[in-house]
Amino acid sequence: MNKVLISVLGSDQPGIIARVSDIIKQHNGNIENLSQTLLDTVFGALLQVELADADSAEALQTALEAACQDMDLFIRVHPWRESSSDWHQHKAQVQPYIVTAIGPDRQGLVAEIAAQLYQHGVNITHIQAIFKGGSNPMDNLMVFEVDVPKDTVMQALRDALTDIATRLDLEISVQHRKIFDSVSSIVN
Amino acid sequence: MLNPKDIISTLQMVREENLDLRTVTVGINLTDCVSDDINTFKSRVYDKITRTAGQLVATCERIERRYGIEVANKRISVSPIGVVAAPFNAEQMVEIALTLDKAALELGVDFVGGFSALVEKGMSRGDQALIDAIPQALTESQRVCSSVNVASTRAGLNMDAIKRMGVVVKQAAEMTAEDDGLAAAKLVVFANIPQDVPFMAGAYLGIGEADAVVSVGVSGPGVVKAALERAINEQQDMDLSRAADVIKQTAARLTRAGELVGREVAESLGLPFGIVDLSLAPTPNENDSVGEIFEAIGLPAIGAPGSTAFLAMLNDAVKKGGAFASSHVGGLSGAFIPVCEDLSIADSAANGTLSLEKLEAMTSVCSVGLDMIALPGDTSAEMLSAVMADEMAIGVINKKTTAARLIPAPGKKAGDHVVFGGLLGEGPVMAVNMGEQENRFVRLGGRIPAPIQSLVN
Repeated sequence: MNKVLISVLGSDQPGIIARVSDIIKQHNGNIENLSQTLLDTVFGALLQVELADADSAEALQTALEAACQDMDLFIRVHPWRESSSDWHQHKAQVQPYIVTAIGPDRQGLVAEIAAQLYQHGVNITHIQAIFKGGSNPMDNLMVFEVDVPKDTVMQALRDALTDIATRLDLEISVQHRKIFDSVSSIVN
Repeated sequence: MLNPKDIISTLQMVREENLDLRTVTVGINLTDCVSDDINTFKSRVYDKITRTAGQLVATCERIERRYGIEVANKRISVSPIGVVAAPFNAEQMVEIALTLDKAALELGVDFVGGFSALVEKGMSRGDQALIDAIPQALTESQRVCSSVNVASTRAGLNMDAIKRMGVVVKQAAEMTAEDDGLAAAKLVVFANIPQDVPFMAGAYLGIGEADAVVSVGVSGPGVVKAALERAINEQQDMDLSRAADVIKQTAARLTRAGELVGREVAESLGLPFGIVDLSLAPTPNENDSVGEIFEAIGLPAIGAPGSTAFLAMLNDAVKKGGAFASSHVGGLSGAFIPVCEDLSIADSAANGTLSLEKLEAMTSVCSVGLDMIALPGDTSAEMLSAVMADEMAIGVINKKTTAARLIPAPGKKAGDHVVFGGLLGEGPVMAVNMGEQENRFVRLGGRIPAPIQSLVN
């Protein structure tokens, strides 16, 4: 097993995935999983790749950088062992919740909320910001998709978040994910 | 990962558009409480209600927090008291109403329904006693609601019962004269009453239902109005076909939310889940009005020509959306047009755009009937019965539920203002086109036969 994690960041443009995957193919590597996202015009991708035994992360990184040198990308290739962390091995039973913060963009907003989530044993599985400015509160929305362990005291978590909401002039809600799923999707 | 649009629209429904669960109603069968001893019966009733629904309020509050959706009312409905308390007289029936009231108070629920009788074809001794007791029972109790089914498509109209109910409504209003006739606002006369309505004042638990069952009533006229307004703003060429789609889709989403919460409450209480009743039920607040939907679609106001056509479309689209979203839709499911509970409808009634006659026409396509209508205090019992008979006939012939919740406000005349408070709201006293107060037709009594089910034209 010779696995690597590849991160590719930079300005979005056509051909990034084409070039990166071509180089992996030339190295007889196999892409096992990948995720790509766009943040406005910024491209980001994360790839899990299995390489031939003789190959190395360093060699692949050099090859990728050479192939993409005109694209102004940040590319990193890390050796990766698929051993799970303690947290993964002893993962508690969780319930999926959605934490939303509505209100003006503030310095430290994400840090404050994330700190409280962490303190209550909550894991963030996805986070997205919808900041459009303007006076419509729904245009300044921070959404945390989280897993809340069964032993987390919901009221304590809510109280901690309410305290942040009061200080930062936000409206923070904590709702079970099922309500969003059931209202939005036709089949469930 | 959730789609941001879905997150925003769900949040908007709750934050800005007044999506709430109007009610979680636990239906409780009282047939096993039967006794011919009044004290035994009362204590069995009290025990069964408080035992079965003991955790209702706490459970709803927990689930409210979990999903971030308000459960506005927690309610109980019981087997029709006219049936399960058949041996008792009117005075004892009042005691039973007060027992129901006490149980409701103990549990912290908002209303208890089922002080009811089913008399579409004839009246038993128990039904008679219950109906006699209604004015006093509703005056002395706070949370008890009463309904009497006086007609059905299969049985026709029981005009003796309708004649009696005119008198009962009048008495109920007069006994609560200082509150504008409040007792009459907790009393509704039905044709084709469904067995599983979670909404008041018509909630009761039908004889064919389980020992105990959780049903939910979802509201959300504000959500429908906002969805229509968004569609109109976003699509220049939006026509009524598209509007019907928008209403349908919105109704489906509301129903989903209701079923999710209802099932969870049922599971927590260890009871079966019954039905979702998606009814656009207004409250006397802005952005929570059925009348405002009429304005959003382009009518000058509810009551203006075009209102019946739009109401027919609205009611149908709500039912279609609900039926698609849940396999267990029941109750009334559609659009309510209660005058005093809806700011915009009350306005239309006050400024003359909406008359009693137009309302009656609209009830042929809405999901209930003449609802929360204050009438002049000097309206005779006979005239009230006649208004009821007209409304029941619409239901019987069209194979639908209709109802009349009429409040002859003591001392008030057409154009005056009445205030009932809370969800019951306030509004104008509407004029009745009476001519003579006497009505020999009503006095004839008897039964109007059930209609033929063929030759439908």
